[in-house]
Amino acid sequence: MRKPKHEFFNKKIKDTTQFIFPFTVVISTWQLLTQCGIISENLIPSPLSILYTIFSLLSPKPLLLIHLWKSVYRLTLGYSLGVTLGILIGVAMGINKSLEKTFSPIISFFISIPTIAWVPLFLILLGLGDETIITAIFLGSFFPVIYNTLNGVKSVKKELVWASEIMGANQTTITFKVLIPGSLTSIIAGLRLATGYAWRALVGAEMLAAAKWGIGYMIYAAKAFYEIKVMFAGLVIIAIGGLLLDHLLMGYLEKETIEKWGLVAKR
Amino acid sequence: MNLENKQQKISTLYPLIPVSLFLLFWEFFAKIGVINQALLSCPSQILSEMWNLLIAKKIGDCPILLLHIYSSLYRLVIAFSVSTILAVSLGILMGTNKYIYRFFDPIITLLMPIPGIAWAPILMLWLGFGDPTIITVGAIAAFFPIVHNTCYGVRSIEKEIVWSAELLGVNKPTLLFKVCLPWATPYLLTGFKLGLARGWRTLIAVEMIAASLWGLGFMIFDARDYLRPSIIYGGIIILALIYLLLEKGLLRWIEKKTIEKWGILHEKT
Repeated sequence: MRKPKHEFFNKKIKDTTQFIFPFTVVISTWQLLTQCGIISENLIPSPLSILYTIFSLLSPKPLLLIHLWKSVYRLTLGYSLGVTLGILIGVAMGINKSLEKTFSPIISFFISIPTIAWVPLFLILLGLGDETIITAIFLGSFFPVIYNTLNGVKSVKKELVWASEIMGANQTTITFKVLIPGSLTSIIAGLRLATGYAWRALVGAEMLAAAKWGIGYMIYAAKAFYEIKVMFAGLVIIAIGGLLLDHLLMGYLEKETIEKWGLVAKR
Repeated sequence: MNLENKQQKISTLYPLIPVSLFLLFWEFFAKIGVINQALLSCPSQILSEMWNLLIAKKIGDCPILLLHIYSSLYRLVIAFSVSTILAVSLGILMGTNKYIYRFFDPIITLLMPIPGIAWAPILMLWLGFGDPTIITVGAIAAFFPIVHNTCYGVRSIEKEIVWSAELLGVNKPTLLFKVCLPWATPYLLTGFKLGLARGWRTLIAVEMIAASLWGLGFMIFDARDYLRPSIIYGGIIILALIYLLLEKGLLRWIEKKTIEKWGILHEKT
């Protein structure tokens, strides 16, 4: 039985207030403490002044938007490259046994390397700037996607493959109609994992290798001028960005694919 | 049986083929000068460089490489234990008390996706270069996955189990330590695994921007300044090996000693 509409909205409102309430408490206490001078404004700026800083970064010249645009551009390029290649190689390894046996230990070795450790190497090979950062993001998202895709393809039931073989499906049909849809839950879990990795690689690599723009660079450069407000503003933006990526984007993807098709239970 | 074992042994040797081929080609092309050795040093160079750092170059009695490894691991141990203690206690509180859960859950949801390294510049202003900053940032990074999983694990306990324990007349501490925590152990271990991975990665990253002369992250980043790619390659390999040892060795061992022995793998983890 479907719930009446107003009940649904009431629940939404209740959820939202429950989500916002702790922030109001924390932020107002924080504001009060800085106002009274218990916390030094030089060490921890008050929430209002952080908000003010965000606006000042936006309004005469939209610096913040340029920083954000640069970061999003790098993230999109590196991430989509990593995901595409990762899924392709993962599926190939899932289909071909000897390919899997040969390369899966190599991949689990590469997964355990912190992405940021590559950055100094790329700095030598590619120099400061976009190439290094994008490559780091690519590596950060590539390996988790391969790993999850491979596991997904391997976990597809043998009976399903046999059944479609008996019904005369060729390898292409089996791959696209059986193996990939069957492993989608795992692939999307990999995509979700990879967004986290890519997001972290972005911020880290931008601190070490950005030439002029980028949200990570903004925080790192602010340190040199002791602009603690800008650093906090950047942190707020990064938090919101990460939340949007993880909950809205990936949540939407999950809802539109695996939840809609009934592969996993709705949450 | 015997044949199967033999086959398994052979199949573990499979990855050696492409790796050794790759290394051979790399070495060959570097030697004949197709690859610029200043940018991509060849495998033999990496080995000799690591050998140098391990045997020849010493400060006092201790080889330099071991000092780097030691200081990274020392930071990891402190950061991980501090954040484990805090995160597990908060997670248990959140798991058992509805109001605490409602208060902290949104905050953790917001703070969790922040990469640990984003805290580093601010903490550098507060605490300066060196150990305090690195350890704090590592602890922050490890904290969130552990809290999240602990809380989830404690909350996921089946009501019937709690009810029956209560009917048998156990008090609160017994309920917590004998029922809730054992139930949540698989989730806790997942949290530790994730926390260890995030803490270690963040630690290495922070060592690059805030290190005090020691640490593997610092070693790698410093090698860039002197254009010594062989040290970077060697460092990357060592980082991977240490992490594999921690995850596949230490955590796996703990898993075997606890949840597998108790037979409570009630999750597919």
